[in-house]
Amino acid sequence: MKLLLIVGVLIFSNILFNSQAHAKLNVLTTTTDLRSLVAEVGGDKLTVESIAKGTQDPHFIEAKPSFMLKANRADLLVSVGLDLEIGWLPSVIQGARNPKITQGKKGFLEVGPLVKPLELTVGAITRAEGDVHPLGNPHVTLDPIRDGEIAVAIAERLGALDAPNGAYYLDTAKKFQARMLEKTSAWQKRLDKIAVKKVITYHKTLTYFLDRFGIQNVAILEPKPGIPPTSGHVLDVIGEIRAQKVPLILVENYFDPTVTQKIKQEVPTVRAETVPVAVDGASGMGSLENVIENLVKTIEGK
Amino acid sequence: MSSSFFWVAVLCLASSAGAAEQPSVRGKVFNPDISANFLGLGAWGSAVSDDPLQAPHRGLSLQEAELQFVSDVDPYFRASALFSVAQESGAAGFGISPEEVYLETISLPFVTFRAGKIKLAMGKHNLLHTHAFTFIDEPLVHQALLGSEGLNEVGVSAAVLVPLNWYSEFVVQGFSPTNDVLFGAHASGELGVLGHWKNLWDLSDDFTLELGASGVEGKNALGSTSTAFGGDLTFKWRPSVGGKYHALIWSTEYLQSHGVTGELLGGLASWVQYQFAERWWVQGRGERLGIPHAEAFQPQYKASALLGFFPSEFSGMRLQADQIVTQGKANSDYAVQAQYIISIGAHPAHSY
Repeated sequence: MKLLLIVGVLIFSNILFNSQAHAKLNVLTTTTDLRSLVAEVGGDKLTVESIAKGTQDPHFIEAKPSFMLKANRADLLVSVGLDLEIGWLPSVIQGARNPKITQGKKGFLEVGPLVKPLELTVGAITRAEGDVHPLGNPHVTLDPIRDGEIAVAIAERLGALDAPNGAYYLDTAKKFQARMLEKTSAWQKRLDKIAVKKVITYHKTLTYFLDRFGIQNVAILEPKPGIPPTSGHVLDVIGEIRAQKVPLILVENYFDPTVTQKIKQEVPTVRAETVPVAVDGASGMGSLENVIENLVKTIEGK
Repeated sequence: MSSSFFWVAVLCLASSAGAAEQPSVRGKVFNPDISANFLGLGAWGSAVSDDPLQAPHRGLSLQEAELQFVSDVDPYFRASALFSVAQESGAAGFGISPEEVYLETISLPFVTFRAGKIKLAMGKHNLLHTHAFTFIDEPLVHQALLGSEGLNEVGVSAAVLVPLNWYSEFVVQGFSPTNDVLFGAHASGELGVLGHWKNLWDLSDDFTLELGASGVEGKNALGSTSTAFGGDLTFKWRPSVGGKYHALIWSTEYLQSHGVTGELLGGLASWVQYQFAERWWVQGRGERLGIPHAEAFQPQYKASALLGFFPSEFSGMRLQADQIVTQGKANSDYAVQAQYIISIGAHPAHSY
């Protein structure tokens, strides 16, 4: 009994100590893209960490108990939403036992619904269509304009949690938004000069990027979202490449790119590139600007 | 059977009434998340019963259907109800039973309180519903010491996240001891008590190590105390680069009990799961029942191999072969089982 009492005192004194120890805001994000945006906005006024790695498919992260521990200590949890993290984030939040970051609280922020999602489902929907996202395509962070909007939304929420630094957060977010606007214009000019106007991708990861820069996604290597390429579907894609003279296949680098070898055998003129699609998805991809710059360069063939 | 029809009728009526009274989208958003799992089984071999009144039995059968309803109740509680529809023991018909029905807190820091009918935190396997079993069947030691339904009792639970540098959770549960095998179906006013300590370390971004210990005791039908103790160790590898296509899990669970007979009986199960492609797993399991073993009990050894194919997150097919050797018995027993698992409805959040 005495032992139990001692253990109890130690646990609750540790809880008390931990709750008082953090002067800076502690932010947890689901993806490295969001971590990059929070770091851009918050600078040294906060600490930020991501659950997913940039090399991982964010749909299929495992709800490691160590993530629950991080979520337990977070003041703010920033996620994409739109069902991107539906298979794992609810378990992390439930296991975190941190009422600050539950849905509806100031410490819970979903940015996807705030930036006009594309591919919203209209009418009836079934899983016969694959792992569809009824609320819209969740890969919003590959659009630099939406990244600016997300940065502002993050700044507003940080300001609500940390009022003394509110003006700082908003100022850095607005500066980032202006920079991304300027860069988008430059990227657009570069992409307007080249002949690549149609591409194939593995998954609908690049939808927002391609939509922003006016490039058509002619076909997807997955026959349906979440279903790996089948021989029959790959033949259909080869037909599309030939019919529409598609010059480029982009494979997001957490997918197996070997399927493109078969396509290249059939259509030697098509170029196939594996691309990182998240911050820290490869070396040198330390920010969303790096990721988008790399995508533009890849399409340019540089 | 009449109770089964009653429950099914209640569920159907509740569903249709909900639809009739809440035709608007605004009304529907407050409906609970509803999902169902269906498990079909084909089983053959000398280790499988010929008696169609037993489950599982030789041939094709509907192994189980699980109906789950989950929803936040208000800012303070979440409720979850999982009903199992399965063949009743000793009968050809199906019955519906509440496998887990509980409410839990969602607004308290560091602790989750839970009350209702719950799967007790006795190691790792006991927490799993049938559709999430690592193999088609439960380990021998769990069947022998806790019965086919496992330790699933009405009680209260407190799960505390211990503020250490690694994930450490301590669970204390008080319950009414009714388990047929461990407590002899005793239902007195006395409470049983269970403690579980779970620890998990991230050895790197790719590797985790989990170590758990559990202990339970409660008065049994003979008025004496039944006890059980368990330990589990799990090593998991899923690389952060290429982890969509490859993973390895090695898990070992030990369980021993002083049940109604008062004799000490224990057993061990150890299994390896390897994901060798995006949708394919191969698994192997070795078991020994009888460490230690009671005098009147013949130790058993079991080896299992499983191949699993999962076309999507929502469907799976598994083929399992078993060999069971019982000490003192001339011939081994064999079983081959094929299973499909289907999930429909709300997207589940997976546990680690």
